[in-house]
Amino acid sequence: MSEEPRIGVFVCHCGLNIAGTIDVEALTEYARTLPDVVVAIRNRYTCADPGQEEIRKAIKEHNLNRVVVAACSPRMHEPTFRRTVEEAGLNPYLYEMANIREFASWCHPSVPEEATEKAKDIVKMAVAKVRLFRPLKTMEVPVTNKALLIGGGIAGISTALDLADMGFRVYLVERSESIGGHMAQLDKTFPTLDCSICIEGPKMVDVSRHPNIEIISFADVLSVEGFVGNFKVKIRKNPRYVLGDPCTGGGECREVCPIEFPNEWDMNMGVRKAISVPFDQAVPLVYTINMDYCIECYKCVDICGARQAINFDQKPEEIELEVGTIIVATGFDIYMPYDDKLYGYGEYDNVITALELERLILAAGPTGGKVVRASDGKKPKSVVLIQCVGSRNVDKYEYCSGYCCMHSLKHAVQLKEKYKDDVEVYILYIDMRTHFKGYEEFYRRARELGTNFIRGRAVHILEDPQTKNLTVRAEDMTLGELIELEAELVVLATASIPKSGTDELARILSVTRGADGFFMESHPKLKPIDTAVDGVFLAGACQGLKDIPYSVSQGSGAAARAATVLSQPTWKIEPIIARVNPDKCRNVRVKCAICAKKCPYGAIKAPEGQAAEVTAAMCHGCGTCVAECPSDAITQMHFTDAQILSQVRAALEENPEDKILGFLCNWCSYAGADLAGTSRHEYPTNLRAVRVMCSGRVDRDFIFEALKLGAGMVLVGACHLPFDCHYISGNVAMKARMDALAKMLEKLGLSPERFRVEYVSAAEGVKFAELNREMCEQLKALGKEKIKAENEKLRPMLEKMLSRKKT
Amino acid sequence: MPMKLERNETDKELSVRRILHTKNYSLTVDKTLCTGCEICQAICPKEAIEIKMLPKVPGEKRKHATIDVDGEKCHFCGICSSLCPFGALKVRVNSEHVFPVVKTESFPELIREINVNSTKCDIKCVDCEKACPLELIKVSVQTPDGKTVKNVDSIRDKKKLRVVVDVKKEFCPCCRLCELKCPEDAIRIKKFFQGIIHIRQEKCPEDCQDCLDVCPIPGALFLADDGKVHVNEIHCVYCGACRVVCPEEGALELQRTRIWHTPVRSGAWNKALEKLTSTKDLTKELQKKGTTRIRDSVKKRFDLGDD
Ligand SMILES: Cc1cc2nc3c(=O)[nH]c(=O)nc-3n(C[C@H](O)[C@H](O)[C@H](O)COP(=O)(O)OP(=O)(O)OC[C@H]3O[C@@H](n4cnc5c(N)ncnc54)[C@H](O)[C@@H]3O)c2cc1C
Ligand code: SF4
Ligand code: SF4
Ligand code: SF4
Ligand code: SF4
Repeated sequence: MSEEPRIGVFVCHCGLNIAGTIDVEALTEYARTLPDVVVAIRNRYTCADPGQEEIRKAIKEHNLNRVVVAACSPRMHEPTFRRTVEEAGLNPYLYEMANIREFASWCHPSVPEEATEKAKDIVKMAVAKVRLFRPLKTMEVPVTNKALLIGGGIAGISTALDLADMGFRVYLVERSESIGGHMAQLDKTFPTLDCSICIEGPKMVDVSRHPNIEIISFADVLSVEGFVGNFKVKIRKNPRYVLGDPCTGGGECREVCPIEFPNEWDMNMGVRKAISVPFDQAVPLVYTINMDYCIECYKCVDICGARQAINFDQKPEEIELEVGTIIVATGFDIYMPYDDKLYGYGEYDNVITALELERLILAAGPTGGKVVRASDGKKPKSVVLIQCVGSRNVDKYEYCSGYCCMHSLKHAVQLKEKYKDDVEVYILYIDMRTHFKGYEEFYRRARELGTNFIRGRAVHILEDPQTKNLTVRAEDMTLGELIELEAELVVLATASIPKSGTDELARILSVTRGADGFFMESHPKLKPIDTAVDGVFLAGACQGLKDIPYSVSQGSGAAARAATVLSQPTWKIEPIIARVNPDKCRNVRVKCAICAKKCPYGAIKAPEGQAAEVTAAMCHGCGTCVAECPSDAITQMHFTDAQILSQVRAALEENPEDKILGFLCNWCSYAGADLAGTSRHEYPTNLRAVRVMCSGRVDRDFIFEALKLGAGMVLVGACHLPFDCHYISGNVAMKARMDALAKMLEKLGLSPERFRVEYVSAAEGVKFAELNREMCEQLKALGKEKIKAENEKLRPMLEKMLSRKKT
Repeated sequence: MPMKLERNETDKELSVRRILHTKNYSLTVDKTLCTGCEICQAICPKEAIEIKMLPKVPGEKRKHATIDVDGEKCHFCGICSSLCPFGALKVRVNSEHVFPVVKTESFPELIREINVNSTKCDIKCVDCEKACPLELIKVSVQTPDGKTVKNVDSIRDKKKLRVVVDVKKEFCPCCRLCELKCPEDAIRIKKFFQGIIHIRQEKCPEDCQDCLDVCPIPGALFLADDGKVHVNEIHCVYCGACRVVCPEEGALELQRTRIWHTPVRSGAWNKALEKLTSTKDLTKELQKKGTTRIRDSVKKRFDLGDD
């Protein structure tokens, strides 16, 4: 480093929050004794304007080039003071926060002296680290102001129209022949019972007419490369064997085609021709030949005539698009309960799913709107609607599918209004869930129309082989006994499940999925539309099941979120990223690429024979690669090995055997520790915490160094497995690394309780405090002598392991 | 109701069914009629039909090959049923017997030209009925008001009686046995397949008469004094059941050169034709009809994407 560090330490009283426990005067005095500290100042409220002004003044007056603020959690005010030092002309990354409130005054109020000692260590660690900081520059990447939308259901349609109206170009990639999604399959929509296609159809047409939207239908997303603002997307357009432009959508070809096949759009209850559209309102209105069924008689070619729209030689076509953001709106699938023998689905003719019923009631459906039984074509006189088929079942789909209560109420109302007293309708339910606007009122309407509600679970369904009528045996929870219902038709409200292909799309986009299989949002409350990948957003049922109004809202929300990127000429990237030193990278000589494999974001490319390289804009700064690299070729800016080791050394300078050195990840365990502080859960003072962004950053060398220096215990705190990690899977990589390390250390004679990996969420303040109490008990039980003896025994090996490290 | 596929097989019948909520489809093979000739397997566009050889049991007559249908592949187009020489296959939609591909002229029907001039018939003759190996003919004598007469001798005014020859056309392979047995020259039959069949006796293994065993038409093949099978082309219907079982490569050659069928312009038919005849004969067939226009249009369609 060229210039000598000149450090200013600013100790905050935080009113009495800190000063009430900690001897801030002694602390400030202590700070002045630390190397390179030129000034240490106390302030009542450092974050208030006068406090900030004090810092700015001191920087100028004392010509400071490093700043430590000893106050609250960096999770609270790090951005504030970055701005402060920047205003004083200093690089914002030349400042560090010493958290003496959440980690000292608040969690050790009854032992002020010990708390003060701990605060001193915390400041010492911060000073040690800040000395090694280097100025960093926020990067900017240009933004392509076009969006890619994957999935053209009602959610995707809403996003597309909003973005297009804002003036952005939108590519809408739809896997099926037509946009519209499930809503286009429905008859009427709750709670107002308007005709589904009548309200969605015009929107679909708007999409096709909008000058800013290009529909790429019957197509698949093959690959996505790049990063926020700069995605490169490969798409395969599947051959329809009918050319979009000359096809007038008149459908004469459909008339002459001899081949019929089951229409999936009609849930395979009706048929369509080998050349056809799935439904008459399809958008785009371009016919498609299903080659699985076509016999190549060319009757369609003949009738198409001079239009020459049919081309049997069409091949799949790959195109490449450049976009700035990607919105995923791929919706859901329906669970087909073939595997659950209880319901007899697929076996009994008169057991159908709710979506099949939608197609039966629909006037344009395969029966022209007549609800008739498959067995005899007759209208059923009694219908039993069974709820939660597959949903809310820990052995199947644990979650509630959200809208089935409402669609079954809708079906009851429709049946009652259509067939009046000619039909008896029963709903067999566990809980009736009718929150949201107008839903409870709709429930009443169903009741008033004479629907029979029975709270209970179906336990058995039997078919009369002659009449094909069904007997539903159920547990009536209200009566507490078994009842039997005679039904001419049974309708199953089956679970909705993640769309087929969700796993593949998740892989292509590097987006995570939750335990339920749906795409995972970046934060369940505050970022319900974002994903962990910058520039990729979610809309509609693909993120979790939701009805139409909610899907539309989220679609519009996704458009707004995407616009925050698309409306910028450039996008800023935090410089806390990983960088590879090509001279040290061993991939040049031997096949390695470990970093590329471990990076949760696919941000590293390591082609054979070449040094690995990090795509800065894709790196999220977890540091997993840094810890994994076998030749220490990767550095994480602002969290370098040298910087972290300097904290470790500072923490363990005195009485190391009494200390627990904790590496805590910023998002879960550090936040959990903060919460222990804010909730004033008291625990012993032995912990010295090193904050890392992700537990994946924790290098084995850090543990070796800590033990070499004599640490009493070492703790690695991470987010819960498997899905809580803020960086997708940093905790998974950490676990693999630490499991192996723990085994090795134990073999070498380390008491297992001295090295722990714990998973603490941001909500588990109590757990964090308890964990500390427990560890301190164990520390006491082990005794200083035993710890020292173990450390002596370990030392030669640790020294050997660390010998290759220069820092 | 979700879609169901069903399959049923008895000694006499095999059927596959696709049942939808609103419609059902079936393909039925009458196994008593099927000769294992392989024509359906060759022309099925979805390779849903498999003709399986049965192992030969020493000392027993060779059995003809049997048919199997894959219900998942079959989509009930009716191509097989429109060309089966023996009428063994039937496609039904909602229980009604249909030829979907024939209705749209995507595929032809075989033309079975069978003309019987029963005014020539002697009221006591039943030669054709006896001659038909497939028992498709029923000869009856009727009074002017259409009543069937059981005992002709009991009727005095024999002049007014009328002979009715009823042929179940849809099952008839047009072997012409009846025509040749008819003493009054009352029957005229045109074969729907024409072709060449040739046995190279020198290649036939000793004592083999597998082809003869399976031939559905008596007299089309016969054992001559040299102990080898020979052909009488007059009765051969060119179904090819013999070729399927012939164990010796090149011993039996069969080629269809002409197919008598309803006119169609169809790519599917051209493909089938290619399989039923050779390419050389396809050209011949097209030329014979004088419809080079069709050939060109087909060619144009095939080449569409190239230019
Ligand atoms: C029986 C039933 C009745 C219902 N009734 C009502 C009602 O009355 N009122 C109401 O508010 N809600 C109702 N719903 C819920 C409603 O269907 C959903 O809220 C709505 O469809 C969600 O829209 P979506 O756009 O998120 O998903 P979807 O409608 O599933 O659309 C997703 C689209 O993305 C496409 N896609 C999927 N994967 C890909 C891929 N990999 N690449 C490209 N494209 C892809 C799909 O083809 C589809 O077009 C009902 C649901 C069911 C099952
Ligand atoms: S060529 Fe195929 S799509 Fe066209 S009419 Fe014939 S079967 Fe139908
Ligand atoms: S592993 Fe983490 S730090 Fe390394 S490149 Fe990937 S995102 Fe960046
Ligand atoms: S075409 Fe031949 S093999 Fe096929 S069903 Fe008819 S007789 Fe049998
Ligand atoms: S042509 Fe042959 S099969 Fe047909 S009716 Fe005459 S004898 Fe019978």
